[in-house]
Formats: sequence, C-alpha cells, structure tokens
Amino acid sequence: MRIENFEINNPDNPHPSFRMMEAAYHLTAPNAAVNIACDLDSKGGVMKKKFSLETASHEELVVRIAERKDKNAFKALFDHFAPRLKSYLINLGLTGEKAEDVAQDVMITLWQKASQFNPEKAKVSTWIFRIARNRHIDLIRKQKYPEVNADDHMGDMVAPEKTDQPLEGAQTANLIQRAMSKLKSDQQDVIKLSFFEELSHSEIAERLELPLGTVKSRIRTAFQTLRREIGEYK
Amino acid sequence: MMQNGMIPEEWVVSYAAGSLSEAHALVVASHIDYHPELQEKLADAEAIGGLLLENTETSSVSDDMFNDILGRLDEEIASFPQMKSKSENHLPKSLSDYLDGDLDDLKWKKMGPGLSQVRLWTGPNDERLWLLRAKGGTKVPMHGHRSLEMTLVLQGGYSADGEQYKPGMIEVADEHTHNHQPIINEGEECICLVVTEAPIKIHGIVGKILQPFIGL
Repeated sequence: MRIENFEINNPDNPHPSFRMMEAAYHLTAPNAAVNIACDLDSKGGVMKKKFSLETASHEELVVRIAERKDKNAFKALFDHFAPRLKSYLINLGLTGEKAEDVAQDVMITLWQKASQFNPEKAKVSTWIFRIARNRHIDLIRKQKYPEVNADDHMGDMVAPEKTDQPLEGAQTANLIQRAMSKLKSDQQDVIKLSFFEELSHSEIAERLELPLGTVKSRIRTAFQTLRREIGEYK
Repeated sequence: MMQNGMIPEEWVVSYAAGSLSEAHALVVASHIDYHPELQEKLADAEAIGGLLLENTETSSVSDDMFNDILGRLDEEIASFPQMKSKSENHLPKSLSDYLDGDLDDLKWKKMGPGLSQVRLWTGPNDERLWLLRAKGGTKVPMHGHRSLEMTLVLQGGYSADGEQYKPGMIEVADEHTHNHQPIINEGEECICLVVTEAPIKIHGIVGKILQPFIGL
C-alpha cells in the first residue's frame, strides 16, 4: 500500500492522524477490501457519519480541509471549481495551459489557507474568486493587488440590522443569472468587461467608444441593481 | 458624485473585479479600510465576482491536473497576502502591508518649501504612486490636471475648492479640475497617498520653474 509514502513524507505532519490516513487510503486504493479507518460500531458495522461528501456545502468542504486535511473534500472542490477557474482565466487572456497552471496555484492556496476561511463571513466562491484574481494579477500583470480583508472586521462594524442577512448567503449560480438579466444589455457589458476582462474605466470607454462619465455611471447603476436583485433572494 | 469624501461605487466595483492598476488598487483599498459602508459594498461586489465565477462555463481540465496539485501541496505560493505589518501604526492596513514598515523608514525627498515626497511605484501610462508630506499652512502650487488624480488623506488635512479633506477622505480630480490649489490646514503636518496619471500642469512662473525639480 502507498499510504506510508503518502503522509509520512509530509514534513508538516510527521504523525499522520487516522483521518488523514483514511483520506489517503481512499485516494490511493478506493476499491480495496481492507477497511483501515472507518469507525466501527459494536457489531463491526460502519457507523453512519454526520459528514457526507455528497451533501456537504462548499463551505463545509473547506472547513473539512481545515480540520482534517481531507483530500476527498479537496477533490470535490477541485471537481467543481477547477473547470470554472480555467474558463475564468482563459477569459482573462491566458492559454489553456497557463490557465491550468494558475488554477493549480489557486487550488493549492485554498488547501493551504483553508483554516483562514471563515464560512460565516464569505462564500467559498467569493474567496476563490479573490484568490484567483490576485494570483492572476501577481503572476501575469506582475503587479501587487493590495487586499482590504474586509471580511475580518465586517462583523464589528456593520449595523446590527444588516448583519443577519449578508448578501453572500446567496446560494446558487442562477441567482446571478437572474440578477444579470435585470440589467440592460449595455449595463451587462460594462460589468462583464470589468470582471471578465479586467478593463479599467478608461479602457472600457475606449473599447465601447463612450465618454468616460457614461462608463462610470453605467457601472454604478448596474452595481446598484445587482446588489438589490441579489439581496431579494438571500 | 462624491459623498463625504467617499469614492463613487464604480471604483469599488472595479477594485473588486481586479480592473485597477497597482497604484489605484492601493489608494482605493486603503480608502475602503477607513469606511465600513464601503467594506459592505466591497463584500457585495466581490460576492458578485464569486457568483460570476460560479456561473462561468466549465473548461475541461487535463486528467493529471489533480495529481499534479497533490504533488505540489507543500509548495509556497507567494501571492496570497501575507500578514506582514510588524509595527503598530495609524496607517490603513492595506497601505501598512504594502509599505512593510513605517512612514519614517521611507526615503523622503524635499520637493519645495514645506513639501516632501516618496515615489512608491511607477506604472504604465505615466502612472505614479506617491506619498506626500506637507507642513501645516503650506499652499501647494496652483495646478490643473490632464487626467485623473486621487488623493487620500492619511494624516492632517487640507482644503481645496471649498471642501475640507480629513483622514480617510479621498479627493478625485480630473481634467475638469483646472485651478486646483490645496491649502494644508494650519498646525498639523499633512500626509497623503496620491496617484497621478500624467504630469500635472502647474500655473504661474514659480510653479513652472519648480516643476522639473519636483517631478510631479
């Protein structure tokens, strides 16, 4: 079995926990008959676990990685996000190969920084978006992107009546589809050019042959509509 | 457009989207650090980014991508923001992380009576990021703008065009701002974080003589 190589080589963790071996085991030998790690009840049957990979939210999966270094949880997040990250990065102008390299970095960062993720303050998609944005700017544009870390102090500073329903409670991707469909097409354009092509106000003005002031007011109006629309579904 | 020295929302959106240059991103992020209201807007704008990512069409990834990642889990990925501020200071956190030190550790250069500056970054399109330090009572030479200039007050204050600017407030001047003559409040040194896009136009003979030397 490859379990020993798998964890014992990890310098951060010279004493692999039973759970980690479990994760390693599933990855390396999913169909083997030997059951080394599952909790057993008095009759020798496998106890039902509270955590289920199939039903866990993305937020729960990240918490699972933070607490148990669960590679199955990591694989589930990878399966969902890696193909989306690759598309996002290709949209930003990267080749497929380069997009995969950067997406790899993003997933590794997620693994390493899982314990810094606070599921009460942000959705995993928001967090991954930020990591990907910063990694792309750092690596491709060769610039720093100073980060606000608003999530860290939001709780204390936001008026109480506003804290109970953060926008990031929004669950699904069709939420944004519905919200975007409420925008006029010229408003959709400026949002897409901002998020998908990282164009500045003046670059958008040039691309669309519009006065700078028009671009700014379009972004502003579009954002106000999106906030309102997404707010309705939270 | 400007409300209480707070930046208009389109800048928060563009910051969230990743569309700002290093200099604009630093000024906007530092400004947001001061204002919970803007932090809330930013959280929403970044959530929109997350939802757009969630809703992106998928591209198939290569078969060995996950295994490649497993082999790299211990590798150091540098870009993630490091919590590096060592010293307690009154600077907004974004700026403090960026400088990785204190204002007094920087190499300030005199640029005129009562004025000194540090250039932090020079980017494409003549974009420049500065810290400016001015003695109380200093009149900055009258000037106009050929393009965008953003000034975030970090300490002290100044008045310009009838507005009072205090710490945390941002002034956005553009090509429509012709005769701009900020006057630093008496009695306290004023420190500002400034981004300029193209050389400003200084009016008057003294300004014209000074301009080549101060490098604005």
